[in-house]
Amino acid sequence: MHGTQQPAAWGLFCLTGVVSVAERIGVYVCECGPNIKDAMDIDEVVRFAQGLDHVVLTKAFGLLCAVEGQELIAKDILEHNLTRVVIAACSPKEHEKTFRQCLEKAGLNPFLLQIANIREQCAWVVKDKALATDKAKATIHAAVRRVVHHEPLEIKEIECQPHVLVVGAGMAGISAALTLAQKNRKVYLVEKLPCLGGKVARYEDVFPSLECASCILDPILDEVLHNEYIEILTWSEVQEVLGFYGNFLVKVNKKARFVDTETCIGCGACVETCPVKVANEYNEGLDERKAIYIPYAGALPNVAVIDQEHCLRWQGEACNACQEACPFGAIIYEETDQVRQLRVGAIVLATGFDLFDPARASQYGYGKIDNVYTSLEFERLVNSTGPTEGKIQLRNGQVPEKIALVHCVGSRTSQFHEHCSVVCCMYLIKFAHQVNGKLPGASITGFYSDLCLPGKEAQGFFNKISREANIALMHMKHPDSIEMTKEDEKTVIRFTDIQGQSQAVIPDMVVLAPAMEGARDAETVAKLFDISQGKGGFFAEESTTLAPVSTAMEGIFIAGCAQGPKDIQSSVAQGQAAAGRILSRLVPGEKLALEPVSAEVNKDFCCGCKLCVSLCAYKAITYDDVKNNVAVNKVLCRGCGVCAAACPSGAIQASHFTDGELCEEIRGLLRQG
Amino acid sequence: MTGFEPKIIGFLCNWCSYEGADSAGRARKAYPANLRVVRVMCSGRVDPQFILEAFKEGADGVMILGCHPGDCHYKEGNLQALKRYGVLKRVLGQFGIEEDRLRLDWISAGEGDKFVQVVSDMTERMRQLGPLRRSY
Repeated sequence: MHGTQQPAAWGLFCLTGVVSVAERIGVYVCECGPNIKDAMDIDEVVRFAQGLDHVVLTKAFGLLCAVEGQELIAKDILEHNLTRVVIAACSPKEHEKTFRQCLEKAGLNPFLLQIANIREQCAWVVKDKALATDKAKATIHAAVRRVVHHEPLEIKEIECQPHVLVVGAGMAGISAALTLAQKNRKVYLVEKLPCLGGKVARYEDVFPSLECASCILDPILDEVLHNEYIEILTWSEVQEVLGFYGNFLVKVNKKARFVDTETCIGCGACVETCPVKVANEYNEGLDERKAIYIPYAGALPNVAVIDQEHCLRWQGEACNACQEACPFGAIIYEETDQVRQLRVGAIVLATGFDLFDPARASQYGYGKIDNVYTSLEFERLVNSTGPTEGKIQLRNGQVPEKIALVHCVGSRTSQFHEHCSVVCCMYLIKFAHQVNGKLPGASITGFYSDLCLPGKEAQGFFNKISREANIALMHMKHPDSIEMTKEDEKTVIRFTDIQGQSQAVIPDMVVLAPAMEGARDAETVAKLFDISQGKGGFFAEESTTLAPVSTAMEGIFIAGCAQGPKDIQSSVAQGQAAAGRILSRLVPGEKLALEPVSAEVNKDFCCGCKLCVSLCAYKAITYDDVKNNVAVNKVLCRGCGVCAAACPSGAIQASHFTDGELCEEIRGLLRQG
Repeated sequence: MTGFEPKIIGFLCNWCSYEGADSAGRARKAYPANLRVVRVMCSGRVDPQFILEAFKEGADGVMILGCHPGDCHYKEGNLQALKRYGVLKRVLGQFGIEEDRLRLDWISAGEGDKFVQVVSDMTERMRQLGPLRRSY
């Protein structure tokens, strides 16, 4: 189709391409009805274009994007053996794809096209007809000079692995796994805890339906546990991630559980006999657990695990109480960690959140005043599988009569987190409902500065519970206009109300709603998977509006509270969305189509300075220390061209935006018009 | 200097600034015809030699317009543009090219008004400065 030509811009000083074969360019000027036609002298523009080098055909047409216009171009390409096309019309954002398809239909590589934007950036903004004509001529001149140097680009494809790794078995991870498995995708579901279900598994009821959490969760966990396409790796952590979209190689360390998951039935005989007691993290430290334990009643899979850090055997003592107590011989002290190598095409990170530590803001008295609890602690207190089996009582065993609920702890403040944690207003109302049910006489006071009740459910839920329960709401001036102190064995809350008046209240129990923030290990996870953390420690999405579940790393998706604070339904939606993104692009038997506009390295010119390696935001460039040159991974490259601009030897070129193409465009714009 | 109309080259990133320019067009907001646009995928693609080439070829002013910091479609390409801009300004001074002849600004896809403002300001400033004196 077009002759052999030296790639336009290899080399330090060679900014002008060498065109060895006469190209046959067709220039089409779209009148766009009156839009372009009335703004400039179309005849003059056509005359000008006709006189340019390599232009063999110039036509003005009423509306090129219409079927007739497209047919005209396709017909001309064939009849006049056009080798390149310039279309002077609307913005390339409007119809570049349309005209590329048009070229393709006529057998011409779609990238041998250049659009001259003479509508949005000319006809519509230049009021003087003569000036508009001049600007259009310059733009067309640039397009003609540029298109001569266009290279035909092919959309490359690579083989890919359809299996998926899901990290985190909370609501988002489970939703992603089940959606993927529905389409018979092999899913490796990796969870660092010994059980599935994430934080939701430790809640009693969930808003706004007030269904019990296990009623929602248990059936889907059962589905996960018995799904032939989902391989569950609990008590496991990802150690290493290599590769890229379509072909990741992941090392997962499956920690020794010291309990055979096949034979253990979760009877708990081992737990009873264990002599070690440590703070129970599954109940937020409100009670103790043993060194061999089942996280909580109903935890799935219902299998015990030995906490090696605290078990006497690993402290050098010859204890084997659990092994002796086990009626099934399920305890295996010899078990060792196992490293699994997984090949997957895509990864979903659904690693959840943690709460802001309210002890960091001393005004809340958390950690100093016994009666101040976090929301997660309260979730366990009201939970029938929790430390008090669902009884709302203080650490001293007394039943509280006056309960304070404090909104926005560490959120919506410049000091800690600027963001709103989305769910706190709703779960505090849920707490009011739970208190009202369990302690009918108790009074509840909410301390808030703004209520966040968006969507179709929240306000109705709030109204309903407010009518039922004995709730007083105190409107504070700012989210942090509140302080707790202990005076004469009493907890005193002092706050500034919306009018600026200081007030005091003496509750028996205070429940804080600390900000949701990125999980404690989010930084480690981000480094491991080479993605970035954004505000609040949450993982950064590719685009907040249009790509909320993908990341800057192709093939690595994020879902649930790892991406930002959200409720259960939104987490489920994101898990399903991430699965959908994967199912639509990573199809078994199909190859993965790559971005045609990408960076290319001419290894002969590469001096191995590695400047590009450090600049690439996608880690797409690797350095070969034997050959002392770099290579671009086409799967990871997004074609931004940052490397090409930095390369001191001109060895890297951004295809379709080469030095030669762009310099010709500049000359075209300036030498005429 | 009466009647002098400067030639200005603008490198506009595909995702924000080029869209911003289009949105000014869609809103039919007139601005000086002096600007000639080169679309690049990212402001970080703008090689300093393109700017020198533009001045060499007759531009009186050059603009690099990219996404606002934090909004770059390619994470931080615009910050690379910012770094290069800082260095290039000093180099241009050594060539005897006034600093104001090169301008970097951030224009989002929705900021058609800002685009018009920036182009108008730049054109006005170039009119004040007059033609770029070339010694070759």
